[in-house]
Amino acid sequence: MNGAPHSLIEVRDLTIGYGDRLVLEGINFDVRRGEVFAILGVSGSGKSTLLKHMIGLYQPIRGDVVISGASIVHAEGDERLRILRKFGVLYQGGALFGSLTAVENVRLPLDEFTDLSDFAKDLIALSKLRLVGLESAATKLPADLSGGMQKRAGIARAIVMDPCLLFLDEPSAGLDPITSAGLDALIRELARGLGITFVMVTHELASIYSVADRVVVLDPKTRGIAAEGTPSWLRENANQPWVRQFLKREAA
Amino acid sequence: MPEKSSVDLPVRWNLSVRPDGTGKLEFAGELDAESTPVAWRSLESELAGIKVAGFEIDVRQLVCDSAGLALLYHLSIGGMTPGAIVNLTGLSPELQHLLRSFSKEDFQALQEHEPTCSSFVEDVGAATWSWLCDVRQQIEFIGEVTLGVMKSLFRPRLMHWKEVFRVFEVAGVNALPVVSLLTFLVGMVIAFESAQPLEQLGAQVFVANLLGLVMSRELGPVMAAIMLAGRSGSAFAAELGTMKVNEELNALQTMGLSPVQFLVVQRVVAGILLTPVLTVFAMYAGLLGGIPVLLGLGFPLRMVLHQVQSGLHFGDLAEGISKSIVFGAIVASVSCLRGLQTGEGPRAVGESTTRSVVSSILLIILADAIIAAVTYTLRK
Repeated sequence: MNGAPHSLIEVRDLTIGYGDRLVLEGINFDVRRGEVFAILGVSGSGKSTLLKHMIGLYQPIRGDVVISGASIVHAEGDERLRILRKFGVLYQGGALFGSLTAVENVRLPLDEFTDLSDFAKDLIALSKLRLVGLESAATKLPADLSGGMQKRAGIARAIVMDPCLLFLDEPSAGLDPITSAGLDALIRELARGLGITFVMVTHELASIYSVADRVVVLDPKTRGIAAEGTPSWLRENANQPWVRQFLKREAA
Repeated sequence: MPEKSSVDLPVRWNLSVRPDGTGKLEFAGELDAESTPVAWRSLESELAGIKVAGFEIDVRQLVCDSAGLALLYHLSIGGMTPGAIVNLTGLSPELQHLLRSFSKEDFQALQEHEPTCSSFVEDVGAATWSWLCDVRQQIEFIGEVTLGVMKSLFRPRLMHWKEVFRVFEVAGVNALPVVSLLTFLVGMVIAFESAQPLEQLGAQVFVANLLGLVMSRELGPVMAAIMLAGRSGSAFAAELGTMKVNEELNALQTMGLSPVQFLVVQRVVAGILLTPVLTVFAMYAGLLGGIPVLLGLGFPLRMVLHQVQSGLHFGDLAEGISKSIVFGAIVASVSCLRGLQTGEGPRAVGESTTRSVVSSILLIILADAIIAAVTYTLRK
């Protein structure tokens, strides 16, 4: 902790909110390089809002988010672009562009940021689609893909520029348990195989136990972090009873 | 032995061809999205003239990302050395895993799938067919709306009058300032433009008559209807289209409610009620726009008003008002139809909005032409 060399993201004294309403106050945590990190909490505890601050979509009221040594809160222009290039984001619904096919969606960052030939760009985009198991759906439009396939295509697009960090916003939302388990397997494979660090927001307990190395649990009452640690350790040893109940899926 | 390396690139390579017909390529440095395109092109030109049977690629000193891997994959399948047996050594297990996801077959499948241009005959056929389907839908829709309006007339309890008044306010009352301003300016322009030719005939005073006639019979209703189409018709189409995209229309249907009865009839009734009001305002504003011009030309106000009064008959006003009712019905129903016809995807709502405005204005002018021909025959 405390900015150890192996931490990839440092969240420092972060206070966020909408207008006058504070969502989280003065929170601190680190995400270590190579781990799958999950942000947990009940509905309305500010998980997605926290994620949107970590990826620089929103400006915090106070505090800082540092991604591999550079502050995304204070960076501007090229500096900011350089930080943005370090990570990919999977949005809740996949956020694929509806007028482009799956392979065109994945190719888009390559088209915009590189001088590669069309052949090379297609090869790379198709390889990412094959990595997520979508090689046979390359020419389909997002509307013709199922929810799980859209998320897979979203992951393919997020990793096409080889980021070292991937943010996932509710990857299991709206998916059946089998598809969701398949997505978890993909996350594990990408984390182990490519060494990508994952930060995910979720309340799907099954996927937390199967993929997450460490979690933080947000507390809507104190607007802070209720607990931090490995999910199975917290389930038995968290100080707050409601965190243990939450992780055991018992009604509070 | 040819030996080459690039200086300003983060990646260097060493190409050597042995006398026994085997080649060796050693990479060192970094192959990333920026250096790969350059390396790709120079390697392609270097290897173009070389024919080897076996080819060894050594990447022990190389760091690379997906772009670099694409180049290595292309080299490893003999993309630059056709016919050679290629051997790739020194790739880390992580990258080997990634390299396995590259596939030439996928690329070929993608190429075969590129959409082919349809022939002219096919295009004409498809366009005709979709036009015929559209006509059929329009006729069905007119029937359904008429039925719905009739039903509501006989059983007013069925109507959601609150919604009618809301539409009346949003599309009618709130549109009054802009419609008035528009026709005021049009009236001014017409007065200016007609003053000169009429002066040559010594009939400048008849500018007032002309203005009265053209505003009440033609421009009042047409301008009001076009404004309605652009301002509110597009909003109807976007609103209904968004409801369709959000499956709200499906929800209505499964509740046993007809979208036409529930959404369209109110808007059509409101349209029919509000266009005459807009039109009356448009007529007055047009006349008011002409008056300053006529005063400027030296005619006293009383004379102008007298000219307008003597030139206008009740029939002219009635024609304008009845036209406007037809236009109101057209704009409201066509815009709603375009909204209901919205397809899938993010572009669909935009498309149906455009179609609503284009169809509305087209039909307004068409109806105007028919009414003009009929009334001309009747007046004779």
